Amino acid sequence: MNLLTFLDGASSGPSSGVEAPDLEDLRSVTEDVWMALVGEADPLLPRAVPAGAPFDAAGAWSAATTITGGWRGVVTVELDEQVARHLTAEMLAIGSADDVTDGDLADAVGELVNMVGGNVKSLMPGPSVLSLPAVAAGRAAFTHDVQVACRLDLAWRGAPVRVSVHVPHPSPTDPHTGGSR
Amino acid sequence: MRAMIIDDSRAMRSILRRIVTGLHFETSEAEHGQAALDQMRAGVVPDVCLVDWNMPVMDGYTFITEVRSNPEWRDVTLMMVTTESEQRQIVRALAAGAHEYVIKPFTPDAIVDKLSLLGLVPAGGVRAGDGVTA
Repeated sequence: MNLLTFLDGASSGPSSGVEAPDLEDLRSVTEDVWMALVGEADPLLPRAVPAGAPFDAAGAWSAATTITGGWRGVVTVELDEQVARHLTAEMLAIGSADDVTDGDLADAVGELVNMVGGNVKSLMPGPSVLSLPAVAAGRAAFTHDVQVACRLDLAWRGAPVRVSVHVPHPSPTDPHTGGSR
Repeated sequence: MRAMIIDDSRAMRSILRRIVTGLHFETSEAEHGQAALDQMRAGVVPDVCLVDWNMPVMDGYTFITEVRSNPEWRDVTLMMVTTESEQRQIVRALAAGAHEYVIKPFTPDAIVDKLSLLGLVPAGGVRAGDGVTA
């Protein structure tokens, strides 16, 4: 799994005219994956965040996976560092979240985005291919050639979790982005 | 019974290992298909492989085709455990020689049920609620 810093760039608001997963479907996928990994005792809860607000964790881990083919997009997950540590400890059966290493975190957060991304892929037109996950310590920012199509802000034990789907900007010459429709 | 867990995620291997060791399997692990083939060529031939699809170096589909091309490994049971849920991909994996297919996320019971269907867990054997947890 790659450790990388994403390219700098600003996220735009929700797109229009571009095919994207329904927010409730994204919520369902995310909750299913979360429950499978950490159990049902501490569910993800909704969290109200103003549109366009940056992910507001003091420390964060981020991961992305790209879908290409019948549909194109990028699925990202951003986690408060303590959330990432607890998730990782749970997945690796490590007793204390304080004992989790950066390598452990990269592995677990990468698998989280892989599972969410794979299930998002199944919601969209195919056939498509899912990339291997890319993981970064810190917040994810993205190039200007994608825009946020769908964003889910959640809280786990009071700390923020964000799942986003990014799609290419509509292009009049690209049938995948729907710009000509 | 011996299970080989093939997944590039150490966290996912850990989850699967806890499930199958709860069923009293001995386990080995590989982080991609090529590493799994290397182990098998060195004599570590499991009864069942739990195989992810998307992995670096060698993906799970290629691994399955490689295993199925070797008659000495015809008795090895192959179970895909992956986020790949497109019908086309499932059919492709089964046609290549996978016996079962589990889509992530899964519950421990889903793995136990599939292994039971494959005859690798005694009927009425250990259930997830009996101590096998993800």
